[in-house]
Amino acid sequence: MMSRVLSMDVLLGLVPIALMIALWQGLVSFGFAPVALLPPPGFVFTRLLQQLATSGFQQEIAATLIRLFGGFLIAVVLGVSVGIAAAASPAINAIVRPIVRVLAPLPKVALYPALLLLLGFNHESKITLVAADALFPILLSTYYGASTVEQKLIWSAMAAGTPRREILFKVVLPAAMPSILTGCRIGLVISCIVVFLAEMITSTDGLGHVLVIAARTFQAVDMFVPLITISLLGLILNALLQAARSYLLRGFPEA
Amino acid sequence: MISPTAIGRRIAPLLACIGLLAAWQVAALALKNDSFPTALEAMRAVPAILGDKEALINILASLRRMAIGFAAAVAVSIPLGLLMGRSRAVAAFFNPLLMVIYPVPKAALMPIIMLWLGVGDIAKTLVIFLGVSLPVIYHSFEGAKAVEEKMLWSGAAMGLSAAQRLIRIVLPAALPEILTGCRTGLVLALITMITSEMIARQSGAGNILFNALDMGQYDTVFAMIIIVGAMGIGLDAAFERVRARLVRWSEPQFDMPLSFS
Repeated sequence: MMSRVLSMDVLLGLVPIALMIALWQGLVSFGFAPVALLPPPGFVFTRLLQQLATSGFQQEIAATLIRLFGGFLIAVVLGVSVGIAAAASPAINAIVRPIVRVLAPLPKVALYPALLLLLGFNHESKITLVAADALFPILLSTYYGASTVEQKLIWSAMAAGTPRREILFKVVLPAAMPSILTGCRIGLVISCIVVFLAEMITSTDGLGHVLVIAARTFQAVDMFVPLITISLLGLILNALLQAARSYLLRGFPEA
Repeated sequence: MISPTAIGRRIAPLLACIGLLAAWQVAALALKNDSFPTALEAMRAVPAILGDKEALINILASLRRMAIGFAAAVAVSIPLGLLMGRSRAVAAFFNPLLMVIYPVPKAALMPIIMLWLGVGDIAKTLVIFLGVSLPVIYHSFEGAKAVEEKMLWSGAAMGLSAAQRLIRIVLPAALPEILTGCRTGLVLALITMITSEMIARQSGAGNILFNALDMGQYDTVFAMIIIVGAMGIGLDAAFERVRARLVRWSEPQFDMPLSFS
């Protein structure tokens, strides 16, 4: 019964995507859009499969992935540690809170020219930008999760004789885990977006660069390919994170 | 009478700003790099940009596009998100589509949209609209999903129609969450605005920023970074005030640091 409901949901969810592709095909077949501007979907997807098999395109994907993971991992490590520290210590909180309030709403893309000038045109500047953009959602949700840990849990752990240091790892971190993972999910999507944009602005490789080259030469087909690729990458990474979440949160009621 | 802690809370962000600018100043003096002006030099270039009539018109045009895109996105996304949160079928219908669209950088659609709509205002506003709508839909969805069933049942028992329940119970109950989404959307609107103008170099704040970068006018680059940053912080602070007023009843204890001692 449950599985039938689920498969109904999946079918229903495929409808808008199928409709979109049908509309796309329709626009092309009935001549509303010239093929040069809007290539038919079949053409785009065969091109995508073709490209995925070439080693050149695989290298572009690898370059994008290195930057994405580099930045995202830095953001996770920094965000979780600073978030927990800020929740645990009032002194750190007093310093971190105003800085975060100023830096979080800052559009980080505007910092990219500065990063370029300081760190050069290679991986470093892009990884820094990704880390800067993914950091704040992770930091804020870690802080939120850690500061709403039930005081009773901490008291019971202390009553049971857990040393103060270990409370952080044994009580606070696991209790804040759902919130941290929600932050990571947002941070991951942001990383996908930012790495692509950074590669579009200045780069010699990566998916964003592929799009820019295609746009400059008006190859509409090749413009769709990197966009679909980044969307697929996002979906795959999201699914992986979801798997990690259900592993890490086994035993939690809402997981 | 304002309490000392309230004063502290108010000036702390200001102190943080000054601290960051000071750190920048020190770093620039230490590095002595031609392409990295000091904070003071960059700030001196700010009035020159704001005084220039053309630049000012450009920046105002950017803000106008952003406001239109943001308003349109909020107007569409909140009802959609609420419906998704209350109806399983609607959620199942839209969720996969949104999941596919989410990781695509909206500004990266610029080159394609430009092919159809040109480089004008419509293309840029559309991109901002797309960028803002996803977080607002997502948060409205989460907010509407978490509404207590009992309240809806009592509403139904008292004779509210489905539409009335949506407006009078679900909307207010989900409002804190919706506003969180709007706040994220606001920052995203600014980001999308800058990047769309960077790609379609025709007008706007992003155009000034990246043209200055290409021409090596580093003072202007850093001054524009200050201006855009100030826009982000200012808009966020203004929105925070509106939010605090709208959902005064549900102030979360987010501001209460929990100490383990």
